Amino acid sequence: MTDLFNIKLVFTQIPQILAYLPVTLQLTAVAMVIGWGFGLVIALIKRRKIPVLSQLAAIFVSLIRGTPIIVQLYIAYFGIPIALQYINYYQGTSFNINGIPAIVFAMIALGLNQSAFDSEVIRAAIASVNKGEIEAGKSLGMSGFQVLRRVIFPEAMVVALPSLGNSLISLVKGTSLAFTCSVVEMTAEAKIIGGYNYRFFEAYCTLAIIYWAMTFLIEKIFYLLERKFSVPEKAPKLQPFDTAQEVNMV
Amino acid sequence: MNFVEIRGLSKRFGDNVVLDGLDLDIEKGEVVAIIGPSGTGKSTLLRCLNLLERPDRGEITIDGEKFDLTEKSSQKAMQLRRHTEMVFQQFYLFRQRTVMENVMEGLRVVKHYDKSRAREIAAYQLRKVGMGAWSGHYPKHLSGGQQQRVAIARALAMQPKLLLMDEPTSALDPELVGEVLCTIRETARDGNTIALVTHEMNFVRQVATKIVFIENGKIVEQGTPGDIFENPSSRRLKEFLMQANLYTNIEYSI
Repeated sequence: MTDLFNIKLVFTQIPQILAYLPVTLQLTAVAMVIGWGFGLVIALIKRRKIPVLSQLAAIFVSLIRGTPIIVQLYIAYFGIPIALQYINYYQGTSFNINGIPAIVFAMIALGLNQSAFDSEVIRAAIASVNKGEIEAGKSLGMSGFQVLRRVIFPEAMVVALPSLGNSLISLVKGTSLAFTCSVVEMTAEAKIIGGYNYRFFEAYCTLAIIYWAMTFLIEKIFYLLERKFSVPEKAPKLQPFDTAQEVNMV
Repeated sequence: MNFVEIRGLSKRFGDNVVLDGLDLDIEKGEVVAIIGPSGTGKSTLLRCLNLLERPDRGEITIDGEKFDLTEKSSQKAMQLRRHTEMVFQQFYLFRQRTVMENVMEGLRVVKHYDKSRAREIAAYQLRKVGMGAWSGHYPKHLSGGQQQRVAIARALAMQPKLLLMDEPTSALDPELVGEVLCTIRETARDGNTIALVTHEMNFVRQVATKIVFIENGKIVEQGTPGDIFENPSSRRLKEFLMQANLYTNIEYSI
């Protein structure tokens, strides 16, 4: 019974698994960017109620939210090559299906999954922006895009940040399913190590520690961002100013 | 030709006709107060002039430049909005920006002034409304009256040809109304052309150069404060003033 649980191993194999941290980070970063970018597009489509597109967006969001992420990963992994073959056949193109790295399928699947969830977060945040401030921006003579960039975004971001942090955390954990697309990231590596020395339990314990540390870090970062972007509670000191100072109005 | 000419302004919400072919002329430097019972389209009139509401019909000429208010092009709308600025009942300062940034915003984003020039102009306007010392504050740190003064500075910084004020004191606590009225009086004295919707009749009497009484989307009567308050000719205006306890030349008859 002496060697049932080798606690030392849990820590000594951290570097071995951490070697695949870059893969996990890559997956996370790319999926996050797709999620925010495409999520924003979906949110704007729904906000503007653009015909056809907004219905398509609604179906997309419902479909993605209504299916498990592992199923989506499998569908991307098997579906994209089939789609490419069809395209090759009908369009006469010659995409090399085997030339696409497996990680791309995982990135697309995770990114689209994120976008469905983030689009709802972003849409709600945009809806929370004071209509009056939007009118104030228009009244100053801003274009629609300027209003979006200068009035809506800064305010919506503060509202959206906590939820976006949440969804980023679930994305980090979601990358652990990327092995289904034959991507070797941290979880896959832990399985491999376990299979090699039959110390599965230790491998998963190591893995748990690493993921927990990662999400802990993300929580902290988002907390700091939130503080940075929100209006300070306390009023600053009054600024002394020179009433005699002349200003040339042009 | 007048500085501002509004012609045939009409707007209906469903079956409710809010503005009914309204014509109005405003001279340069004039302070036009728009009064009338609630729900008669006073605010809608101002909002149409800034295209925050799109009228069904009507055009406006500002300083010789003619705009069709029904025009769908957003390019045209932006051009018109650069000539007019709105001061809102609820201030609507950008809550994520400091007082200084609020006033600089239009100068930077719309007029593309460089930072130092925008800051200079903003500082000047803030000093004029007595908010120079608050430039680092955020709107939520300020009282309603202070916020409205900043909003006035924000509008004036854009040097509008026509300043629109939509009940600028209606959302304020009674003790804060005075400071905002004071700022508006200063603004008027500086020669700004102002169209003002308000219920502050005593203020209107002192500051306005012209008063327009609107009911059911039409101008019932217009004239100088003297004409309107001392010598109202229409029955409706007399009734309105009486309800506001402002018409004192009542001839009692038994």
